Amino acid sequence: MSQVSCCECSKTVSGGEAYELNGKVYCGPCVPAAAERAESAGQPVSVTRYVDKSICARCNTYIGDGGGIEVGNARLCLACSERVQDWPYPQWLKLSLAGLLLLLAFALIHGRKYFQAGKDLYRGEQLVEKGQFKDALPYLKATMKLAPNSDKGALLTAKAALLSGDVQTAAQVLQGHNNGRFENSDKPEFLEVKRLWSNANTAFEKLDKATKLEAQDGSEAEAAKLAHEAVAIYPQLPYANLLLDEYDEGVAFAKKDYDTYLALAEKDWGLVPASRTAAMISSALACKYAVSGDSTFRQRSEEMLAKAKEMANGDKQTLDRLAEFEERNRYRLESRQIITKSAYDQKFRGAKNAAK
Amino acid sequence: MFFIPGQVIALLTFPGVIIHETAHLFFCKLFKLKVFNVCFFRFGNPAGYVIHETTENFTAMFFVSLGPFMINTLLCVIFCTAAFLPVWELQVTDPLAYFYYWLGLSIGMHAFPSTTDLSHLWKAAPALAKKGNLLAILSLPLSAVLVVLNYGRVIWADLGYGIAVGVLGPLAIFRAFARM
Repeated sequence: MSQVSCCECSKTVSGGEAYELNGKVYCGPCVPAAAERAESAGQPVSVTRYVDKSICARCNTYIGDGGGIEVGNARLCLACSERVQDWPYPQWLKLSLAGLLLLLAFALIHGRKYFQAGKDLYRGEQLVEKGQFKDALPYLKATMKLAPNSDKGALLTAKAALLSGDVQTAAQVLQGHNNGRFENSDKPEFLEVKRLWSNANTAFEKLDKATKLEAQDGSEAEAAKLAHEAVAIYPQLPYANLLLDEYDEGVAFAKKDYDTYLALAEKDWGLVPASRTAAMISSALACKYAVSGDSTFRQRSEEMLAKAKEMANGDKQTLDRLAEFEERNRYRLESRQIITKSAYDQKFRGAKNAAK
Repeated sequence: MFFIPGQVIALLTFPGVIIHETAHLFFCKLFKLKVFNVCFFRFGNPAGYVIHETTENFTAMFFVSLGPFMINTLLCVIFCTAAFLPVWELQVTDPLAYFYYWLGLSIGMHAFPSTTDLSHLWKAAPALAKKGNLLAILSLPLSAVLVVLNYGRVIWADLGYGIAVGVLGPLAIFRAFARM
């Protein structure tokens, strides 16, 4: 460390213990008084630590008086001066930043599948929020292909599926997700799906009972009541209106209220023109012919049966069912006797067939 | 709340420290300020620093002080975006995604400028703000919030900021992206 002499007391002190005030060098004890004098004289009072300008302030290389370059209050050697003016980025830093950019580029390429799945997930979520559950399902199903363990994806898919009546998809997603386990079973999203799932199951149990009751003569009203309860619990049941109408048609048939039976059958045909609804109208028209003898009903019944066969499009199961129905319908038209299927089975097909 | 020595945190999140100091250096060079010394990482407090000349140019002061905050935040969002979907939303086991999340959070955690940087800004801003300097007007509330957050480091405000930026940033990006 260099030695300097105080301009006030001429004492020699080390550079580290000296101060500068208005271009003069002072030792520690003298500088406060000098500062007070400068202040009362209206001069600037800026006391700084003494900087030995004969050595480089950065690397301590001796540069002599007037050597190097002055930078602020310090004097630097040429090499340090250049470095200070334009500090270089170290080589390792440049390589690291290049590596970082490469990593980022790789992340974007590697992550394309995730971005697509994520986009589908958010699109699906937005559609679910808008109540467009059926439209949301294809997006959410696409997400679940890549991420079957995503809690959010599974719950959204199950919700969209259940609220659009697709119980099968909901079951697949929920069972395929960590064996049905979710991270947080207290979340409102989870509780909502749980409630919907429970409702759907209860509804299907009731419908199962209703189907069994419907096959028994005299239980039509009870079957229809269970079907109505099922739809009330789970209104998203596919073709719920059609299903209820079919049970109500059974009730109307049992009460011999053939006008209501025909009206319901025609309503369903209007809603869903298909082989099944065409056969229903054919059956109702045959009943109307049986009680009225009006041949128009008979003619229309036969026409609707022909249409039902045509709409079966060669489906064997549907054609077999229609063949069974056609036999009973022909009996109804020719005998003008209205009997239930089980009564017909007992009368003409024997106990063995009736049990089927 | 638990205590982990700052040096351990700095070591675990060293990319953030390096990026922070690089951003300081970048803006010093951009505004042609003399740089006297740079330490990109060390086991000490602070974990890194850039010693540069002072300036009267407020724009330079603003970017040199707050540049690392902006750069670290931006890089945190970018890296966390690359990892956000597989880690958070899709729950896919992808080690690369976890690596990106660590990188993103490490960078985000070191976004806060030091109180020394902020104090320079805080002193110079009011006079310029009165004259209608937009950067000065912007820097006043920003500096105030950042000073508070800086003190909040003892309760992991820096980690909280990293997580918030690393989760909310990508979430906003993807939600906007999904609307397109």
